[in-house]
Amino acid sequence: MTTAKENEIFRIPIGPQHPALKEPGHFEFVVDGEMVKSATVRLGYVHRGIEKGTENRNWVQALYLLERICGICSHVHATAYSIGVEKLAGVEAPPRAQAIRVLVGELERVHSHMLWLGVAAHEAGFDTLFMYSWRDRETVMNLLEGLTGNRVNYSANLLGGVKCDVSSEQADSIRVGIDFLEERTKHYLEVVTTDVVFLRRTRGIGTMSKEVAEKHGAVGPNARASNVARDIRIDAPYAAYAQYPVQLITETAGDLEARFIVRIKELFESYRVIRQVLDTMPEGELTVRMPRRIKEGEVISRVEAPRGELLYYIRSNGTDMPERVKVRTPTLPNMATVLTLAAGHQFADMPMILAGIDPCFSCNDRMVTVKDEDGDSRNMSWEQMRQYGIERYK
Amino acid sequence: MTSIETALQTASAICEAWTKETTIPEASRIDIRVEADDLLAAVQALYDANWGYLSAITGMDLGVDKGEMVVLYHFCEGAAVFTLRVYIPRDDPKVPSVYGIIPSVSFYERELIEMFGIDVVDTPNRDRLFTPDDWPDGIYPMRKDFEHLQGS
Repeated sequence: MTTAKENEIFRIPIGPQHPALKEPGHFEFVVDGEMVKSATVRLGYVHRGIEKGTENRNWVQALYLLERICGICSHVHATAYSIGVEKLAGVEAPPRAQAIRVLVGELERVHSHMLWLGVAAHEAGFDTLFMYSWRDRETVMNLLEGLTGNRVNYSANLLGGVKCDVSSEQADSIRVGIDFLEERTKHYLEVVTTDVVFLRRTRGIGTMSKEVAEKHGAVGPNARASNVARDIRIDAPYAAYAQYPVQLITETAGDLEARFIVRIKELFESYRVIRQVLDTMPEGELTVRMPRRIKEGEVISRVEAPRGELLYYIRSNGTDMPERVKVRTPTLPNMATVLTLAAGHQFADMPMILAGIDPCFSCNDRMVTVKDEDGDSRNMSWEQMRQYGIERYK
Repeated sequence: MTSIETALQTASAICEAWTKETTIPEASRIDIRVEADDLLAAVQALYDANWGYLSAITGMDLGVDKGEMVVLYHFCEGAAVFTLRVYIPRDDPKVPSVYGIIPSVSFYERELIEMFGIDVVDTPNRDRLFTPDDWPDGIYPMRKDFEHLQGS
């Protein structure tokens, strides 16, 4: 990379292999010297035909299939689908089940944000923060395991309710875990807003204006870091969010630092909501009876995943199988909006900009092939590209 | 009147000129049917009025018997969801591209092209997004008559 001539335009493909992680993607950057001119993406390396798969499974089977769309935010997928199907069937899950959906949903958000914090810190070369945040993430994964039996793919939801209850012992252990995490999170907020070296990788980089975020449909923490008031938990409360309201967290800067701050501050909100749910959980049944056939109709179900708005469109033709399930995950609009930001940035900033959107794939080795105009190519691994970014900012 | 109703009525008023049929599937939603030729005008009007954001585009095949496909453009403003519903013939499925108005739709339009075989006229990038490079031409997995599922 260091031998590139001035004004020479390169196409730099990155990916698709990230051998150890679930979500590969392929990016191509067009660079002029150090500056990125444009970026494109090719997805689908883990396209499993899940939307199609739901069409020849029954309503219950489809739940478990949809839950496996994402390992990190499986619970929100199941929640979106369950709430949608319940609406179609005209039944409502009991209040205690709705509260447990919120509880698991917020624990999952903590898990997801902690994971992201580690990945993003690693891309910046701040491996101490990576190690600490992933150590702390174990705490919340243990809590989820204690509650549902699983560290990921919790399967807390059923159509018509939830499968797991919260005993007072479990509630106590969650409180202890959350207290510990809250202390740690305070420390992380201090680190990402004061560490001078780290700030050079985040402050003023990848800035997205409010107008761009709004018009292009950015969602989740990426939108909120650009001061867009968009959070489905607040805009259209689902499950028990009307009883446990969430405070909107926004920042105005719109840069990478703002995305760090928004996600970390959201952790505090999650802790508060988790405590509130535990303290005031309604008593009662966990499930209601669901019909096997769902009456004809269609429904849109929107929930706030850790990465932003997740939209399900579900259509029933009156049988025991869905006619169409459309899933629009938050990474898609975020990828589209944030990739437009790549233009005009240094190539060295790309690992951070990509990791900054929390795109559901992360920190392991990917191949980077550096091609010049004549088609000669050299290979660069994601690790080398990461190092390149770190060296540049030394 | 709640803010959801106000928002939905505003959107209905904006798109009134192109509305062929209005349905209200849920309290928080209004669906209108528009002709494919009027789609861009309606999207432009919503965009100019700053009404919400285009949250998703859903493609749907109604099957060989009905001979139609549907493309749904879901706009969201708070809890309100306003959907433009475009019916197109299955033997010549074509919708205009809204890329000129909202450039972030490229992914959604590429998905329509490769999964349903819908021709999104004038969309700049027609490359495959999800299907493999060696996927055969003319096979669209989300169509109802797709018969290549394992085990079926």
